[in-house]
Amino acid sequence: MLNKETGLRASARERSDEIVVTTMSAASIWGRLSGHDLDFASIGSAMGHAADFALGLALARPDKKVMVLNGDGSMLMSLGTLVTIVASGAENLLLFLLENDTYEITGNLPLPAAGRVSFPGLAEAAGFRRVFDFHRQEDLERALPGILSGRGIAFVNLRLERGREPVPVRAPDQAISYLSRPLHAAAGLLRAHLAEEGGVGPPH
Amino acid sequence: MAAILKDGEEQVLKAESIVAELKRLGVTHAVGLGDTALGRVCELLSADPELKWVPVCREGEAFAVAAGLTVGGKHPVVMIQSTGFLESGDALRGTLVNMKLPVLVLISYRGYAGARRARGAAAETDWTDTAAVFLEPTLAAWGLPFLTLGGDEELARIGEALELARQRSAPAALLLLGGCV
Repeated sequence: MLNKETGLRASARERSDEIVVTTMSAASIWGRLSGHDLDFASIGSAMGHAADFALGLALARPDKKVMVLNGDGSMLMSLGTLVTIVASGAENLLLFLLENDTYEITGNLPLPAAGRVSFPGLAEAAGFRRVFDFHRQEDLERALPGILSGRGIAFVNLRLERGREPVPVRAPDQAISYLSRPLHAAAGLLRAHLAEEGGVGPPH
Repeated sequence: MAAILKDGEEQVLKAESIVAELKRLGVTHAVGLGDTALGRVCELLSADPELKWVPVCREGEAFAVAAGLTVGGKHPVVMIQSTGFLESGDALRGTLVNMKLPVLVLISYRGYAGARRARGAAAETDWTDTAAVFLEPTLAAWGLPFLTLGGDEELARIGEALELARQRSAPAALLLLGGCV
């Protein structure tokens, strides 16, 4: 089993200019590890909709890669998104799934059919061609450069130890920078950063 | 879905007209799930190299994908049936509303003609489509203003609804009262 913090630390180390969308139990840890302008927390947003939000970013910006750090409970809430991603024809979305078999932030309530669902199997069946399944830190670290630099969408399953992450919240006194502003301001800031890099048109 | 009557005249809404108007308004993507009313529009968009059609598996996804597209600098619309809209409450709230994104939501109004007849008779019957009964109260409850579109002569409503969304920095809806031909 992987440890969430060390697994994400390795991912943060390898990340360069990708857009990164986090949610639920990954949001606070990533915020402490990263602090990049192109980080976005899907917190105060819609449950189960981080991956499809990331897909929208990927379709808007085919010149950039988009990583989303989704939870297994979040994935189950919108499982059809695996098919939507494949159908979209996007080539630049990297879907990391943090699998710990529980709804961690609500007290580790077990997922339906916990331990009996193969998320990599679901991704393969949906049409993902690059599917990875990691149990060990050294395997993840060895593969990450190729995953990030490779062509096409990828599904990256991280089998994690059970965690104890509290509910992440947006608040003005949040120590984690990307959680210290309201969702609309965070979305506006990401849009502005993307506009600085080019590719964003004038307001509609 | 049959064409609707307005002042005794049949209104016709052409799919080609909708697509042309969306392009004229600078829309870049249509995200959604088609039904019998929107089917022809979806067919046209699927083959259109300019205005991209992004199909989803469940309507809630359309709001999240449209939010990502907007933050990424594109100009999408959401295109779904009223039943799917009723399914999408938290997705709408958590994305377009909370992010204050002015996205137009085109909703085909399933059961509109039957519900209108029922209202005229001051009573719903066992045969009234509840998808139509619940739509407008739900739009009101979720704070989404709307305009309606019956036929080609009202195509300007698309731009008006888009302008409504822009003015409030939030989504607005346009209800398609009949099917597109």
